Order: sequence, then structure tokens, then C-alpha cells
Amino acid sequence: MKLSVEFGRCEGHGLCEEAAPELFRLDDEGDLLVLYDPSAEIPSGQEPAAERAVRVCPVGALWRLDHSQAG
Amino acid sequence: MLSTQIPESDIDPYTDESILNPYDAYRALRDLGPVVRLDQYGVWAAARYQEVYEALHDHESFISGEGVGVTEQLNKAQHGSSLTSDPPYHDLVRGLVARHLTPKALREVQGYVADWANRLVDELIERGEFDAVTDFGQAFPLAIVPDLLGWPVEEGRERLLDWAAAGFNAFGPLNERTVAGFPLLKEMGEFLYRMSVPGNLRPGSWGAQLVADAQAGKIANELLPALLGDFLAPSMDTSVSALSSMLWLFGEHPGQWDLLKAEPSLAGNAFNEIVRRESPLRGFTRLLTRDRVLGGAELKAGSRMLLLYGSANRDERHWDDPETFDITRPDAAEHLGFGHGIHGCVGQALSRLEGKSLMDALLRKVRRIEVGVPTWRLHNTIRGIETLPVVLHA
Repeated sequence: MKLSVEFGRCEGHGLCEEAAPELFRLDDEGDLLVLYDPSAEIPSGQEPAAERAVRVCPVGALWRLDHSQAG
Repeated sequence: MLSTQIPESDIDPYTDESILNPYDAYRALRDLGPVVRLDQYGVWAAARYQEVYEALHDHESFISGEGVGVTEQLNKAQHGSSLTSDPPYHDLVRGLVARHLTPKALREVQGYVADWANRLVDELIERGEFDAVTDFGQAFPLAIVPDLLGWPVEEGRERLLDWAAAGFNAFGPLNERTVAGFPLLKEMGEFLYRMSVPGNLRPGSWGAQLVADAQAGKIANELLPALLGDFLAPSMDTSVSALSSMLWLFGEHPGQWDLLKAEPSLAGNAFNEIVRRESPLRGFTRLLTRDRVLGGAELKAGSRMLLLYGSANRDERHWDDPETFDITRPDAAEHLGFGHGIHGCVGQALSRLEGKSLMDALLRKVRRIEVGVPTWRLHNTIRGIETLPVVLHA
């Protein structure tokens, strides 16, 4: 499972951090830190949290990438 | 997937009765199907959570640039705001409005908002009985938002409430409520036009920066009134409704208030739950730009879709026990009360800050919230309390 993190749309509401604290964090400045390699697969075991984060992002900054193409 | 026949319904969400008891009408719409045609208005409605969410997250099919109200005649007049535009223009103007309203940007005003909250709660404890709407729900945003925007001190702030109410009514059908607001909308338009002239908004304020951007050529001058309107109208009626409901819900559910007193860290979730259960904004529309299947229903390009946030937030297909006010609800953050997706409420962090600051002040000073019986507003778009007697017991 891969996500697309659109930094241009992120406004730092922090709901992703509440849903998936192992994957996302707001730093002391209030900016988003992605705690894994966002171009890679979601770390094993974190998929449910990642799905929750995508679902609750209130401003459409997180999307699930459909990786049905052979890769 | 087999397409389903779209049921037609004569349920009218905009009658006085539907407005005063919206949840019965919503449930009936949800039970009819994932998409329902509202005969009377020639629009399609989505009242279940899943379809509302899906439409909000497909902003390329369900566009906002042709307006987000029910009445096409009025949708044509909605132009230039971030609420009623599509990418790429939307992303530019949203950025201009959002930069002051992100949680990060609002850190600068946290202390200012908290001071106001403490003063207001102290004053209301002293006063004894007061009205949840006038003295709390309206008093608070009116005290802070115009200042932040740069509102000139000599202009009457109470006009703001009337303008906001008229603006939100105009997202509904062309009924008496909407038409009654036209003179006010004209007045608001003239005011915003005047505020777009450099020098009329307080130097250094959010609004003044927007005007400076126009002077620097970053945005077209003629769009300024709509952008200033993006800040103004939405900051009033919606917050007024949420804050009034906060007192009502905690007054009606003293067990939940005691729980929050014992666990103040639940405040953020409690605010989500307030907005879920008594969603201030009933919903907005989108225009479908292509043929598309939604919830198994085949919709044609050109269809106007009404997305009912207030119904989605009570959908028993999504929520356990949706009627129950439960500040520990694990998925309260999934509510659609602020909309969702790229048009998700740009002021939601300010709204959360207002709610949380008032909750903090109440938690510190108030033992019990005593409420009387509410009356509800008759409004096309905003669900909210009209009057509610309250006593705060320290």
C-alpha cells in the first residue's frame, strides 16, 4: 500500500498524526513530518493506521495510490 | 455493478418542519437509497455517509466552480471565492486565505483567544442566567474574528451576523428566507467592496494583507470582495451554532461533562463529537461534470448534487449509535461537519481553537452547566439553536 502525500494541500491540522502516530508527526513548528519513506510502501502492520489517516485528513492532502499496475 | 433505480422523493428539506426536525427527514432520505432525486428542486441528494464522502473526494467530477447552492440563478452569482472555485485557481486563493488560518499560523493568536474565553466565562458565571446564542455563541466569534480580519472599529459588528445569515440562506432554494436576505447581501457586497480599497482594513491584519496581495498583482482586484467574504460570513453562523450546541449538549448530558472534567485531554474529540451530532452546516451542492456512478446510481453530467453533511454525520450505516452524544467516540474525527477534501472548511482550525479555548475556560471554572429548553433557528443552511437559557455553576 502506498500513499500520496500532497504537501501543497497540507495545512497542519494534525488529524493524520492522531490516526497514525508511527507514520506522521507535526514537528515543533507545526509542520508535517512523514516518518517513513513516502515513495515506498507503508511499513508492514501500519496499513490500518495509514487508511485511517487517509480517511480523516480534512483537506484532501492524503490519498491512497492505487497500485494495481504491475510493479 | 448493476445500476440501481434512483428513487424520487417529495421530501422537502427546506420546509419549516424539516428545518426544525431535520433528522427525521434525513433518515427518510437515507432509507430511500444512496442517491435520491428531490423532485421539487430538480436536484439529486446524497444523505448517507459513504456517498457524501466519495463525492467530496472526487472534486474533478463533482465541481464547486458552478456554485455550491441549490438555486442555479444564485449559483451564477457565486464567483471568485475559494468555496466556489476549482483547481488550479482554487488552490491559489485557498492558499491566500488558509495561510492565516492554519494551526501553525493560529499559534500567534492562541493567547489572545484564550484571554477572551476566560473573560467571557468569568462574566457569564457572574451574570447568572444568560442566552447560549446571544451571550456565548455569538459574543465570542464577534469579539475576536472581526479584529483578526482588520474590521474597522467604527463599523457596526452586529451587521455581520445578519449578513452571514443572509449569505448562508442564499445557498438554499429561492424561498422567502433567501429572498428576505437579498437587501442584506447587497449591503454586505458594498461593505466588502469598500474594504477592498487599500487603507480601510486595519494595517497588519489578515484582510489588509489580502488587499496588499492584490496591489502586488498576486490576485485580481475584482476578486477581493469574494475573498474577504471567504473570511467573514463563514466565521460567524457556523461557529455560533457549534458553540451554542456545546453548552446545550454538555448541559443535557452532565455525565459527559463530568467525564471531560476528569479527562480534559478529550476536549479535541469532544469538539469533533459536538460538530458531528449537531452539524452546523446542513450541506452544500456540487455540479457533476461527467456521467458517473455513485452508490450504484447512474448520474448524468450536469446533475446538481446536494451533499447532506448533517445527515451523513447521523448515518447508522457508518456510525454506531449515531444519536448518542459520546465524547469518547473513537471515530468522531471522521465526521463531515466541516465538509471534507480540498474544500474542507478553511477556518476549521480557528473553529477548533474557539471551541477548545472556551471548553478549557469552562473546565477550569464551571462545575455544572444548567440548560433550559432550546428553540431552533429557521434557516435554509445552518442548523442551530435560536435561544437557550443557561446558568453556569462555578
